[in-house]
Amino acid sequence: MTDYRILVVEDNERNLKLVRDVLQFAGYDVVEARSGEQGVALAKECFPDLVLMDIQLPHMDGAEALRRLRDSPETRTVPIVALTAFAMREDREQALRAGFDGYLEKPISVRDLPEQVRHFLSGKEPRR
Amino acid sequence: MAVDANGRGAGDVDDGLRRDLAEAKAQLAATSEVLTALGRSASDLDAVLGTVVGWAQRLCRADVAQIHLVEGEVLTLARSTGLSDEGVAYMALHPVGRDRTSLIGRVGLYAQPQQITDVLTDTDYGRLDFQRLAGLRTVLGVPMVLDGDMVGVLLVWRTEVDPFGDRETEVLTTFAAQATIAIRQVALLQTLEARQQELAQKIHQLEALGEVGQAVSSSLDLDEVLTTIVTHAVQLSGTDGGSILEFDEPVEEFRVRTAYGTSDELLERLQTTRIGRDATLVGRAATEGRPLQVPDLRDVPLDPHLQCLFEAGWQSLVAVPMLREGRIVGALVVRRRKPGGFSEETCDLLETFASQSSLAILNARLFGELERKSAELEIASRHKSEFLASMSHELRTPLNAVIGFSEVLLERMFGDLNERQDEYVRDIWSSGKHLLELLNDILDLSKVEAGRMDLEWSTFSVREALENGLALMRERAARKSISLILEVAPEIGLFHADELRFRQVVLNLLSNAVKFTPEAGEVVVRATSDGPEVLVTVTDTGIGVAPADQARIFESFQQGGRGAQQHEGTGLGLTLCRRIVGLLGGRMWLESEVGRGSTFGFAIPLGALESAQAPRSDESPPHGGPLVVIIEDDRRSLDLLRLYLEGAGVEVVGVRDGATGLEVVRQRRPSAVVLDIRLPGMDGWDVLATLKADPATAPIPVVVVSMVDERGRGFALGAAEYLVKPVSRDDVLSALTRVTVLPDSNRTLLAIDDDPLVIELVKAVLEPEGWQVLGAADGETGVALARSRQPAVVLLDLLLPGMDGFEIAAALHDDSTTQQIPIIVLTSMTMTRADKERLQGRISYVAQKGNFDPALLVALVHRTTEAPAASAQEG
Repeated sequence: MTDYRILVVEDNERNLKLVRDVLQFAGYDVVEARSGEQGVALAKECFPDLVLMDIQLPHMDGAEALRRLRDSPETRTVPIVALTAFAMREDREQALRAGFDGYLEKPISVRDLPEQVRHFLSGKEPRR
Repeated sequence: MAVDANGRGAGDVDDGLRRDLAEAKAQLAATSEVLTALGRSASDLDAVLGTVVGWAQRLCRADVAQIHLVEGEVLTLARSTGLSDEGVAYMALHPVGRDRTSLIGRVGLYAQPQQITDVLTDTDYGRLDFQRLAGLRTVLGVPMVLDGDMVGVLLVWRTEVDPFGDRETEVLTTFAAQATIAIRQVALLQTLEARQQELAQKIHQLEALGEVGQAVSSSLDLDEVLTTIVTHAVQLSGTDGGSILEFDEPVEEFRVRTAYGTSDELLERLQTTRIGRDATLVGRAATEGRPLQVPDLRDVPLDPHLQCLFEAGWQSLVAVPMLREGRIVGALVVRRRKPGGFSEETCDLLETFASQSSLAILNARLFGELERKSAELEIASRHKSEFLASMSHELRTPLNAVIGFSEVLLERMFGDLNERQDEYVRDIWSSGKHLLELLNDILDLSKVEAGRMDLEWSTFSVREALENGLALMRERAARKSISLILEVAPEIGLFHADELRFRQVVLNLLSNAVKFTPEAGEVVVRATSDGPEVLVTVTDTGIGVAPADQARIFESFQQGGRGAQQHEGTGLGLTLCRRIVGLLGGRMWLESEVGRGSTFGFAIPLGALESAQAPRSDESPPHGGPLVVIIEDDRRSLDLLRLYLEGAGVEVVGVRDGATGLEVVRQRRPSAVVLDIRLPGMDGWDVLATLKADPATAPIPVVVVSMVDERGRGFALGAAEYLVKPVSRDDVLSALTRVTVLPDSNRTLLAIDDDPLVIELVKAVLEPEGWQVLGAADGETGVALARSRQPAVVLLDLLLPGMDGFEIAAALHDDSTTQQIPIIVLTSMTMTRADKERLQGRISYVAQKGNFDPALLVALVHRTTEAPAASAQEG
């Protein structure tokens, strides 16, 4: 068990479940959000150590949600990692330009996801 | 007195001589006067003829002298002297024929001098009307002959019977010749002038037509072209106005499209008038295919179109049809405000203009259609792209779940699977992967076709890229006991292309080769160079491709005779490969023999960085920024670092392995190297040691960025900076600043204020400007932060609990590590002279809190940090 809490923002129910299950299996505390708006609201309440955010969200998209999180004092310093589609180079580009701390490509590798998440958390203490 | 033929008096020779002399003088004077008249007004025939008859009358001592000119079959009075006005008028209205009834007629008939001694006794003379009117009795006439043709008659008469002698005949003949010269000259001049006019007209027409032609071919603004045409048509035809009508085929009506010399009201009226094809002048002209003119609108029944024109004061017009390939395009109408016909030349000219107009209209129609079509195509293509993008997203999302959950099961995260379950889940997983691959290929192909596949150029090692492809295929090859062999020619080093796309092509060819090669076969990958190209071939010992299939194997969904059912593939791979190779500027081919195997090859031109043999150490960075080489195997980390550095104006060359990295550093001599430690093959430690051991590269600062925290080892090997991952933008940029790749850009500001709102405000104002704002609520914390964080500037409140602003300023001033930091005093209290003296020399600026202006604060902070140590005060 780790003490890290990860907020996953993903509009597709099954993909959300997949990421949640894999991260929970690896011992992370997972908070789920199904839209950009919900993600922004939850991030301020639950003090996540890392946010995994789908870049293609309906309504408020990933880049906009990112901007709001960066604008808010409670969430300004949380690392935010984009979930992008492997085939869409432009997504990757967009994610980095928008200011995400990094990106993970979908389909996620179930085997590698916990390690990749650890990479983004390394060197940081759990916030709670 | 009798006079001989020479005009010499027989009786008195002296007298005769004297008279002869006088007459010769008079004749000379006359001749010279005629010649002068000719010279003075060569074109004024009337003046010359006037001079001639005047002298003829005088020298022949005649009562009347006249010139009659040939006009067709008759001779008409042209000039007369000595006759009453009525007489002249009568004779002018009664030309004479070439017959014996008149003297003029006789000269005309015989082309010889003729004399009638007395018209009253001459039996043939028939013009007693003339005799009664003018009282002539003796008449003498001589022909005026020009180039063998008779052009007129010069005659003199006396009202008494007094025959003219030879001398008079001679004088008259001389004058006739002179008058003839004048006529000839005038005729010549007139011809010349007419020719000149004709020529000028032609030139004018040609110019106008040229202008019209140019307008037709260069402008697609139909109204502009038609206006040009109608303007020239009116001006050249010497008419007052005109219009161009376009024929609307479906409704069989003409519509006035444009007009010239036409009032706005009339144009408006014309445009709203229905001009049908039947029972209108323009309709008839179009149907008959020829110009139709109305010399006087008052004389004809008026159709609605003509009615409009007539009511607006137009009196004559010509309608010229505009036809193309037997179809009516429209009509050109030019009109005058006065009645009158239109010559054939004018009509010819107008037909040329009409033809140009129809061409312009057809061009415009074609162009309009083309525009519509291409707009439709563009929309269709955009829809297709949008559809593909959204479809690929919609399909990929569930596929991601299929693949992901299969992996969860295969990873045994929630319990074991039996052998059968494991096999089925593996099938689900690989089917999902295959579908995703297909989807990605479709998406890539559609991007290539839409011209939207963007390439990411980078420098990489061909060998590494090929090894990477082989590594991915090793497991599958091993299952079929296929040997994978890589042969890279020694001259093949670095390559400039899109590395991912390059690998995609190699992997695709390799995957095909392994797929179609039977058990225990062999797949050889070769890389060689051929002049300016790198050649990569993948040779298998597989089933081969029949010659008939070789040509279409690069087309979509063709697997040749290689058995689509038997071999799973997207059928798009080779198509995509060829398109990608094409995008990289290369070509692709196949050599194959059924049963023996196939060789797929591609050649790509060498990019900016050629082989390892041709180092370019003197190359300067293209965009002027410093050059940094990043050696990092993880693509995501590389992308991120690249983004950070490029954002700071640094030119970045990214490489993914140590050996290539060394090569690039040697070639490019960057300002710094950012080095990862965990690298495939030669690791970061080796790279660092090698760089530091080579005098050529030893001075280049190396910033190590690694997951492993072994600073001691890093610094011992010569690293300038050591960062532990994950690193932020600031971490990297400040490390590069410290190794002086980037100019010093300390953007940290310390705000010391007990009011948290003030600190928030400062943050709100300065953070968007790129400042990192540190806050301290009291003096002790502030001074400590200033020492540890070395901010570029301190923003200080004077009224603080405990240690106050004055003390803080003194403390910062007294410490050598913080002495240089400029201080901006931000205060709400009014400073006394004593206060100012206490701060003298220790602060840079004083800003009043009361009228706090964000822009002023930004400007103040920038000014303070850009021009430090300036001591000033601001209110």
